[in-house]
Amino acid sequence: MTSTIARNREDRPFALTGGGGCGKELADKFKKRCLKNADRTFAQASQCQQINSIQAFISMEDAVFIIHSPVGCSGCVSFMNDLFKVGQYHRGLTSIRSARYLITNLDELDIIQGGEEKLRQAVLELEQRYHPKLIFIFTSCASAIIGDDVDSIAGELQNQVGAVIVPIHCEGFKSKVPATGFDTAFNALVKYVFKNEKPEREKGLINVFAPMAIGWKDQQEIERMLGVLGLKVNYFPFYSNLDKLKKIPAAEYSTSICQVFADEFMELLKRDYGIPYSKTGMPLGIRNTDEWLLGVARLVGKEEVAREYIREQHERVLPEIAKIKSRIQGKKVFICAGTARSFAAATLIDDFGLKLVGMQTPTYEEMLIEDFDKLIELHGDEFIVDVANMQPYEQANLVQRLTPDLFIGVSSWVAKQGITSTHVLETKRPTMGYNGILYLGNKIEDVIENPGFNEKLAKHKKLPYKESWYSESPFKFHKEAGD
Amino acid sequence: MGHCIENPRSSCALGGALALISSINRTIPVLHAGPGCGLQVTAGQLGQSGGKSYGYVGGQGTPSTNMFEREVVFGGVERLRETIDGTLEIMDGDLFFVLTGCTADIIGDDVKSVIDEFKAKGVSIAHAETAGFKGDSYYGYNTAFQAIVSQLVEVTPRDAKMVNLFGIVPAQDIFWEGNFEEIIRILNKLGLKVNSFCKEQQGLQEIKKSSGAALNIMLSPWLGQEFLAEYKEKYGVGTFRYPGLPVGPTATSDFIRKLAEYMDLDKALVEKVIAEEENYVYSYLEKIIGSFTRYRFVIVGDANTVLGLTRFLVNDFGRIPLAAVITEDVPPEYRDGIVDELTHLEYARPPKVVFESDKWKISEWIRTYKDDAALILGSDYEKEIGNELDIVTVVVSFPTTEKLIINRGYAGYRGCLTFIEDLYDNN
Repeated sequence: MTSTIARNREDRPFALTGGGGCGKELADKFKKRCLKNADRTFAQASQCQQINSIQAFISMEDAVFIIHSPVGCSGCVSFMNDLFKVGQYHRGLTSIRSARYLITNLDELDIIQGGEEKLRQAVLELEQRYHPKLIFIFTSCASAIIGDDVDSIAGELQNQVGAVIVPIHCEGFKSKVPATGFDTAFNALVKYVFKNEKPEREKGLINVFAPMAIGWKDQQEIERMLGVLGLKVNYFPFYSNLDKLKKIPAAEYSTSICQVFADEFMELLKRDYGIPYSKTGMPLGIRNTDEWLLGVARLVGKEEVAREYIREQHERVLPEIAKIKSRIQGKKVFICAGTARSFAAATLIDDFGLKLVGMQTPTYEEMLIEDFDKLIELHGDEFIVDVANMQPYEQANLVQRLTPDLFIGVSSWVAKQGITSTHVLETKRPTMGYNGILYLGNKIEDVIENPGFNEKLAKHKKLPYKESWYSESPFKFHKEAGD
Repeated sequence: MGHCIENPRSSCALGGALALISSINRTIPVLHAGPGCGLQVTAGQLGQSGGKSYGYVGGQGTPSTNMFEREVVFGGVERLRETIDGTLEIMDGDLFFVLTGCTADIIGDDVKSVIDEFKAKGVSIAHAETAGFKGDSYYGYNTAFQAIVSQLVEVTPRDAKMVNLFGIVPAQDIFWEGNFEEIIRILNKLGLKVNSFCKEQQGLQEIKKSSGAALNIMLSPWLGQEFLAEYKEKYGVGTFRYPGLPVGPTATSDFIRKLAEYMDLDKALVEKVIAEEENYVYSYLEKIIGSFTRYRFVIVGDANTVLGLTRFLVNDFGRIPLAAVITEDVPPEYRDGIVDELTHLEYARPPKVVFESDKWKISEWIRTYKDDAALILGSDYEKEIGNELDIVTVVVSFPTTEKLIINRGYAGYRGCLTFIEDLYDNN
């Protein structure tokens, strides 16, 4: 297979961060490898890789975090911290605490004179406060542009503190793909924590990599399914710690719940530590869950066990799904979510007989070609794909044109277009595996049954776009990169 | 300024400015900033302010230049120009407001020239330098209002019954909408028209004619010195500053009486309003006699919240203040005034006042009161130490992701009743 390892995700084979068109046309161009990446001459705010790097580790229990930046760059930690606290609550903990993150609060003087001294203080201060096992340092646009030598400080201080210091160079301007931030973060682990040490192989241990947005119920479901295959799980990163981290290279296998989260990392583990991995879509919905579990089962040579389990589960849930399907099939769906989740959702909706008419996904790349072919098989080749890091203005235009019956994704914008909506991303409820599918199915059916909130809202509130925008091409502001 | 902070309690200048600008009706912010700034500062500001998002436009819907490596190296002026072009083509607004982030301000893009080009074409557009390294959300609030006064306000005839209302900082005060509504309600009752700029669908028109106000009311012990000076200098609008939020009957009536002196309001009307409103509050207070037993409290929050709630709890509600922690970066010259205000309460001992924003240091400070304190008022962060010390903790200040706050507020007469409801603990 093509190696995914690259400096930035936009440098991967045939990676796109902007572009759009209908399935048929795109499939053709994808196959001929002639689809050009597009820049936008007009864009709305997006996500940066720093957010992903921080998210990769902030739920670890024995780590502290330094964000080397002005105070605003810790903004998204707010929702991660909320997930971290809710995660503790779901795990039955009573002394719920915030993640311990410290911001160096770079000010005007630091921009001129450098912020290295503050970073030094921050490391020592956190060491003294918490005696952590790990100190992660995240850089920012500001700290990178002024050229603070974060690696030297980390190296210099490593002798003075008990914690392992891990600097992560995740300044936002360096990559157009937020998910690069995951790679940046994992690469730093390899360099500063694993250090080429080869721990003894632990039989039956499987690394499971999952972004922190995967809730506790989903983690339990995943661990239960892997238990059926006789595997012991090293789950990372939610409530993981340095010991579990160090076990990663000792595992016999790896898999991920979100193939975008750790695909490069798993490739590294395979290359450097000989750990094979399975990489399949998110286990959302019947088909995806089957494939996810079979992917792991093939890896460990227990395909028959998995098939038997799948048969049992199908027997249990398919009749329920059929009931839901009979009530909602044929409805048209528009999906907007992260790359892995949008592809998973596009497959999942077929479990209920729903039809894909359009999707927005932040990136597209070579490794998704098979997934894309599968979508065409399920939904025909007329659906529209918009490769966009957010960009709600394009979404509004597409939704207006395609008039879906249901929108799956963040509903902030379509609600004002009167389209009923829900999300398959729920950090606090079960969405994955054979139990999650019923939860999602009920949810989808519910919002189709009662679209009242969005319909009435749309009569009172509008999106901030001129009427004329809706008659323009949604891709009007795309221009081929390099033009 | 500029110390390291564990678990910060504000966003950056860009966050504060964006929250203000997106609350002004039909005003479209345009970010000239890094690719993640819009999301970061929205999550950091609105996301920690009681669960509400923006209304018409904001967050990820904000036009943004998303400055990548190319712009860092070669400059982002052209990118800004095409972004504004696109914004004007598709976004439906009355006013466009460019806010710069760290990258633009460090590399020194000449944003003003670009803005001037569009102004010359008759576009309603303004800009503010709101790089995160310049300060926190309060800095952003001040800077955005400075830009508004310098770039948008126009000469208008004086209206003796019109006031401009400042000091309630959108999404930094977690009850900002409810607090605005109550203060506006009271001022309306006194026969005044209020320019709040961020409520009642007010926008560019109210901004332009704000020069005709009889008075600026600033509900903060320290915010806005510079833009208020510009109002005075350019348009002759003076300022009545009230130190912090008026909460409860004593403070709110005091606020009204002092305001009446500044504005020469009809005394009979003023006293009638005060009598009615105080009667309203006490008609409820008489029904909750004996419902509360916790007296000694520690309070943590921004100056407005700490001043407002401490005055109410001590002057109207019979509580004992042990310590007050002011969490925003108040310039040194205003600190004595805040301490003075908290030291001159009607009853009880004065609280020990400190200025600190680092969560660990604040928790350690609270720990020294572990044997005395019966109540902690603070943010989500203080719940942790409250839990550890087994002291009831009520969330009253930024940040909070645990509460959903729509239109409730603590300000004024009615707000103190909402506050008392939140204070109640049945355990």
